[in-house]
Amino acid sequence: MDGYFYSILVVGLVSTVMCLVAGLMKKAPNDPTILSVLAVELALLVYLVGSIVRVALGERIAGETWEFWGYMITALMIPLGAVYWAVLERTRWSNFVLAAVGVTIMVMAARMNQIWY
Amino acid sequence: MTGTERNQQLQQPAKDTRNTGPGRLLIAVYAIFALSATARAGYQIATKFADAPLSHILSAFAAVVYILATVSLAKPGRTWFKVSLAAVLTELVGVLVVGAISLFDPVLFPHDTVWSLFGRGYGFVPLVLPILGLLWLNRRRPS
Repeated sequence: MDGYFYSILVVGLVSTVMCLVAGLMKKAPNDPTILSVLAVELALLVYLVGSIVRVALGERIAGETWEFWGYMITALMIPLGAVYWAVLERTRWSNFVLAAVGVTIMVMAARMNQIWY
Repeated sequence: MTGTERNQQLQQPAKDTRNTGPGRLLIAVYAIFALSATARAGYQIATKFADAPLSHILSAFAAVVYILATVSLAKPGRTWFKVSLAAVLTELVGVLVVGAISLFDPVLFPHDTVWSLFGRGYGFVPLVLPILGLLWLNRRRPS
């Protein structure tokens, strides 16, 4: 597990907890919860750029290359899709949808780390 | 127009949909499972189908069930309600049967599927999801 994974772990955990609490408080998605999910997207973008740089510098992915990038592309789409789905109907339930993003991305980042090393 | 009439008018068209409130969370989780089950099945079939054809066919079947559940829950109308019900019931039976077989006869499923060991590899979400799905469908049953 590398720094990219740990940063996604922290951002993902914070985002999930924030969205869960907001949902339990019967709040609709607002700036803090939506921004927390966008922070997860940002952490993934950093991982993306970092990975491109590492490959460009000659580092090799230990596992299947296309599996790693498949995970990366899918992971990058999830936060954006969830925010879209959440703002279409702004109820407390949409905050639980947003809460699912952090957990999902944490699991995917762990898998991406396994594939890389 | 009395209050009850207005209420009925407001509720009537909404009654035949399942993509609102808790349903949105359900659809989101189903979508994640549809995505991951499809990717997993595609990967298994593309790279190591011959190792365990039965469990890889099962992975593909599970992927189809999750896709059907996601789409049908998001769509309004009676027909899609029936599709949802069929998909969620299939999922429940699938996770129970495959879970039990993989527990008692691991040799039959040497490779993991989403439903192996009642979905333990996915935090037992595959076991809880159809139960929540049925509860939700019951609440949104078309009159």
